[in-house]
Amino acid sequence: MGSLAKRQNHFVSTLLWMIFLVAIWEFTAWILHSVVHINSAETKWPYFHDLVINIFQNIPVLFEQGSITFGKAAQGFIIGTLAGMLLALIMSFSKSVKYTLSPYIISSQMIPVIGLAPIIFGILRDPDLSRIVTAGYITFFPVTINMLQGLENIKPQQLELMRSYATPSWKMYTKFKIIAALPNLFSGMKIAAPLAVTASVVVELMGAPNGIGVLMLSSLYYGEAQAHMFWSVILICVFIGIASFIFILLLERIITSWQPEFHRERNET
Amino acid sequence: MKPTSVNSIESKQTVEAESKLKKITTYNWIFKDYLFKKSVIFPVVFGIVFLFFWEIKVFHMIFNLELYQLPTPITIVQSMIENWLTLMFYSAYTGTEILGGFILGSLLGWIIAMLASLFPSIGKGGVTVIASLNAIPIVALSPIMNNWFGDGIGSRIAIVTISTMAAMVVNAYKGFQSIDGNYLDLMYSYASRKSQIFMLLRFKHSLPYIFAALRINVSASIIAALVGEFFISSKGLGFLLSDQIQIGNMPLAWSCIVIASLMGILFYNAVEVTERLCIPWKNS
Repeated sequence: MGSLAKRQNHFVSTLLWMIFLVAIWEFTAWILHSVVHINSAETKWPYFHDLVINIFQNIPVLFEQGSITFGKAAQGFIIGTLAGMLLALIMSFSKSVKYTLSPYIISSQMIPVIGLAPIIFGILRDPDLSRIVTAGYITFFPVTINMLQGLENIKPQQLELMRSYATPSWKMYTKFKIIAALPNLFSGMKIAAPLAVTASVVVELMGAPNGIGVLMLSSLYYGEAQAHMFWSVILICVFIGIASFIFILLLERIITSWQPEFHRERNET
Repeated sequence: MKPTSVNSIESKQTVEAESKLKKITTYNWIFKDYLFKKSVIFPVVFGIVFLFFWEIKVFHMIFNLELYQLPTPITIVQSMIENWLTLMFYSAYTGTEILGGFILGSLLGWIIAMLASLFPSIGKGGVTVIASLNAIPIVALSPIMNNWFGDGIGSRIAIVTISTMAAMVVNAYKGFQSIDGNYLDLMYSYASRKSQIFMLLRFKHSLPYIFAALRINVSASIIAALVGEFFISSKGLGFLLSDQIQIGNMPLAWSCIVIASLMGILFYNAVEVTERLCIPWKNS
């Protein structure tokens, strides 16, 4: 009962903050539109309710373009996750491969990998393929790093227990190591999910024929007349990013439900 | 007199011999334990082989690419040398955006986390809302910031600020909150004031978390600056990158990537050195 109340409390406080921020937004918009009269207030700070109305009016086109962008990002994301998992497994299996590749994988954390997105588009010149490839390789690095960390950070006591059962090494992976590394895998996926969406949109800005990025560019091009459309596109973009993050979060809760942080409230009471 | 001098000569010799021995052992240490270690030699050889295969166009053959699609490493270096003045100027411009936004965003995030941890009952929801900034694609932010701050350097600094803030808020808040109750009890038993608890306990405890956020923010800030420049800009590495791709000058586009990556590695190591100086107790 106590845990439920606590969780509800957190939820209510988050909700209140969101309502508060929307209210602040509306108030600022009112000041800019009706009190200060700044230039091109519609493009700079439109009313929130106008945007909601606009989104509902244009829901078919927004949904269509959004699902194209999201679809390509998701395809790349799945391929990148699988490839990253595979490489992490190979690296944990073979010390030589690990020694060879780990400095490069680690330094991928320091460099702006998304900078390669336009170059990949330049090489492939195929919008669909380059969206998938870009989203894929951007997913690949964080997933590999986190999965490898999970595979390496297994407690020695647990390993010894498995060894004492004379577990064959392939079963060690399928029954134990992969499962133990799942929480780390998910934290890698959580980092990667919004980046995959960004990658997909960046390729669209470079010149794909469809997708949310193209809609963004065209509505930006028409300026004041399309200001509401432009902001709606941005909101949809934000929505896709957050939705992909929450989707991974839910998946994590379902698949790795044993993690202590999902039971914290129970332990405390 | 004599014995002492002999003695001193002898001692001098032993010192020399010792230093020689030391030199040899350092020599051995460098070669055996450092340079010939598997973890060093494997990646170096791999890197050289990779670049060599790239140079003799093995990848071009495998993936059926032309030179105008994927330039070779030597042409990239050549174009870097040819355009070094432009590249240096643009790197300084982008570097200013990165550093400015990085400092501003991290500071702002830290202040927000501090406020939230002082008033946790209302702060926790606020942290969740700000954490959702993390999930916003940067491309969505850049046109808004262009609308607000114009197409100058300010809009990119704002983009970098926002994309570095979220990680700092989340991590610093975690650092401020995740304190062993025993420490707090001890502080209470000394009748410490809230400000003292904050300065002596919470702040120090949160330092590793803060540096973890700073390390995340290194690449986040560079990515944000580059993507911000893809959009509307007339200067900077990101602008040059997308511009050169549009006109098909791939070697120069690649040099932008190389420079941005070098900046990232340099910046990351600078953060790590600062971390070691600020938290000497972490690794000991």
